[in-house]
Amino acid sequence: MSNTYSGIRESRPHTFNDCGGSSRELSSEFGKRCLKAADRTFSQGLQCQQINSMSALMSLEEAVFIAHSPQGCVGCTSMATDIYRVGQAHRGVKLIKNPRIIVSNLDQRDIILGGEGKLKEAIEYAKERYHPKLIFIFTSCASGIIGDDIDAVAREVQEDSEALIIPIHCDGFKSKVCASGFDAAFLSISKYILKGEKLPKQEGLINLFAPVSISYKDQLEMERMLGLLGLRANYIPFFSSLESIKTIPAAEASTSICKVFADEFMKELWENYEIPFSHTVMPIGVRNTDKWFRGVAGLFGKEAEADLYIEKEHARILPEIEKIKQRLQGKRVFICGGTGRSFAAAALIDDFGMELVGLETPTYDDDAQTDIEYLYAIHKDFIIDIANMQPFEQINLVNRLKPDVFIGVPVWSARLGIPTTHVLDMKRPTMGYDGILYLGNKIADQIENPGFNKKLAKHARLPYKKSWYEEDPFKFIKPLE
Amino acid sequence: MSVVTESPRGNCVLGGINAVLGAIDKICPIYHSGPGCCMQTSAGEAGLSGGRSPHFLSGVSLPSTNMLEREVVFGGVDKLRSTIEGAVEIIDADAYFVLTGCTAGIIGDDIKSVTAEFLERGIKVYPIETPGFAGDSYLGYEAAFKALLTYIVEDNLPKQENLVNLFGIMPYHDPFWAGNLEELTRILRKLGLKVNTFFTEHQGIEAIRTSSSAALNIIVNPWLLKGAAEEYEERFKVPTLRIPGLPIGATDTSTFVRRVGEALKLDQALIDSVIAEEEEYVYNFLETAIGALSWKRFAVVADANTAVGVTRFLANDYSFTPIITIVTDPVFRDGDKERISDQILKLEYANPPKLIFETDQYKITKALEEYEEITLLIGSTNEREIAMKMEIQCSVIAYPITDRLIFNRTYAGYRGSLTFVEDLFDNL
Repeated sequence: MSNTYSGIRESRPHTFNDCGGSSRELSSEFGKRCLKAADRTFSQGLQCQQINSMSALMSLEEAVFIAHSPQGCVGCTSMATDIYRVGQAHRGVKLIKNPRIIVSNLDQRDIILGGEGKLKEAIEYAKERYHPKLIFIFTSCASGIIGDDIDAVAREVQEDSEALIIPIHCDGFKSKVCASGFDAAFLSISKYILKGEKLPKQEGLINLFAPVSISYKDQLEMERMLGLLGLRANYIPFFSSLESIKTIPAAEASTSICKVFADEFMKELWENYEIPFSHTVMPIGVRNTDKWFRGVAGLFGKEAEADLYIEKEHARILPEIEKIKQRLQGKRVFICGGTGRSFAAAALIDDFGMELVGLETPTYDDDAQTDIEYLYAIHKDFIIDIANMQPFEQINLVNRLKPDVFIGVPVWSARLGIPTTHVLDMKRPTMGYDGILYLGNKIADQIENPGFNKKLAKHARLPYKKSWYEEDPFKFIKPLE
Repeated sequence: MSVVTESPRGNCVLGGINAVLGAIDKICPIYHSGPGCCMQTSAGEAGLSGGRSPHFLSGVSLPSTNMLEREVVFGGVDKLRSTIEGAVEIIDADAYFVLTGCTAGIIGDDIKSVTAEFLERGIKVYPIETPGFAGDSYLGYEAAFKALLTYIVEDNLPKQENLVNLFGIMPYHDPFWAGNLEELTRILRKLGLKVNTFFTEHQGIEAIRTSSSAALNIIVNPWLLKGAAEEYEERFKVPTLRIPGLPIGATDTSTFVRRVGEALKLDQALIDSVIAEEEEYVYNFLETAIGALSWKRFAVVADANTAVGVTRFLANDYSFTPIITIVTDPVFRDGDKERISDQILKLEYANPPKLIFETDQYKITKALEEYEEITLLIGSTNEREIAMKMEIQCSVIAYPITDRLIFNRTYAGYRGSLTFVEDLFDNL
């Protein structure tokens, strides 16, 4: 990250997490730098950065993960053990292992007297039990507020330890934007593993950064595409290893699959290790896959090769997409997703001639502005809700807009009887040229066969008062003084 | 005192409270906590107990103050007030409970004074001041009951002779909680009883309010809810009948029926006829598949309730050989450990298994590795790793489960025991 970056995403200029309105209105205000920082006086649960830090690293080989926290803070990572286990199964591993997660289990006593003793104990367990290469320590709201000095403990233990002890500062209350957790992880990787040491470049090696939400099929597809340009992917950090991480500075270039994953880290690799990077879009849909691919090719002067391949793929795929387009043309869509996927999905529906009526995404920044301006050039004015989930706003909007299909986490909109489909499926293909066929068919099938949601809606019990559906969905967003 | 643990079998206090409130119809939890707690506590309980989430409010639909640095430094009381205002305005709940996260607990926000403002306006908003770091989700389960007793359960109601409360099975923690409660309810209804579970059949605040009028509290659990049981006894004169483990199979379920019948002085003829009918139903099926399951030497890794039920059923009723039972609950009172040991070590015919109390995954795995003769491992999804390594059959039935979807499936009672045997069938 540029050496001045703190790891907290809100600190980046022109970053907004709370606003809502029409696409034209918002993009005009943002463009004039008139958008006001705001907060919600009422909101539903967010996602803390510790969750992201742990999920980013959980599948690393020969690593132990210590949450220096009360027992609650390993909730998400415990549920995410499923992704690690399934990922091993997909990759043909016979003896599927659990991730090694240790919680220091801070309690009343530790809150008062400090929990560093328990942290040392946890590190001892990690070392004795597994002799790992890496031991990560994740902080928490509790450890942060009481002021436990994780770095000091790590330094002290490191002296008699073969394993690399790596503290990650991801206290939940320090950031509203959970993607900060990705940055926290990379900040520590940079400081404790890379340490500014430059390496001779390996020809054709490209760092490919991908978060946990990418399926194995997608990983293979991305690597295959890079292979067409004669490139070898250093896939980080999912199902990766200490060796792969150490190889990062030896790459000739970097790119990421998700827009908010490792974007700051790639800037640092450029500034400190002279590794150029391509920061474009998530390769979902034809236009975005073209863009992502061209972006990478450009780093190696292989634009011509890329264009050849893109032309071939277009010839193959566009007729198939046309078939799906016949089923989807003109259908109205509401999309909700994380930063990477929401805009990627919006571009994708363009491939099918669908109409965007609403978009919910967590962050409005310069990147978002580019996408939004592009989108309202091809769609009529649509509603934007800058929110991390906030189902109460989502359900209000979806109820008003009555789209033909909803793309995103379906659990609320499905209960209104609207056809729904995920765009985030961690176990199936979504990326590249084939991924779009899978997605397109999924969306079309759901619209043509909406039985489940329609029937469910008759029995569903959403928690909101009827009056809420009449209110302005953005009424709780108030500008900060 | 909480100990450093690998792969803990539970969440924090908020996890337990949320698991309970999430299972009660039309109750709105409001988190006064950091930005991750809604997700972490939902993932850590509902997310690990069979793939279902509360339909009303769960995970990122839970109202939350999402406390950040500003609130930690200057206090979060104003944020809490506006969050409660919003919740009360848009969420159609019968009652709202404010949960205290670590951040709020450490900085000492006065939650009670804020909720009092709403109570004065006649709005049912109640504080639960046990903060996240006070303990694990079992403590949360108990804290939730304490809150319900403090704020909802009503005094001075006329006794209902045939009403019982059925407690001890923790919702969104026991993966088979819904089915377990349903099967036990079915049996109790055959005895002519009305059953309050709080968590099934859309029971909501009414069932809780009137639970003080019950003739008996049946607590199906060898160690939880001691405090709640005592409070029901002292304040409302509802006696407690503790069933020290989940009844699985004909023998233990018939014992359950007899003990309930005795406690309520039910008609003996009725008790006998229910038992006769239900046992015949079970044996009708068992008789048609004798020897279908090959004989096993089994290990059990589970919470106390499940560990007791499974060990006893497979040993006493199914003639499998128990080798080792590991109770993963952090049982800390000696009396409770004795009660559990009693159930697991005193079997009808078989030699008792080795019994240990252990919550740490590494130690659990090490304990299992010592017994090469195990041919069936019954535990959680975490046990699949060691089962694969030892090349033995693995049956995943205990928290934490990430690889099953469970609606109303149950292994409890009479009918559940048949499902259990079905699911243990291994064609290899």
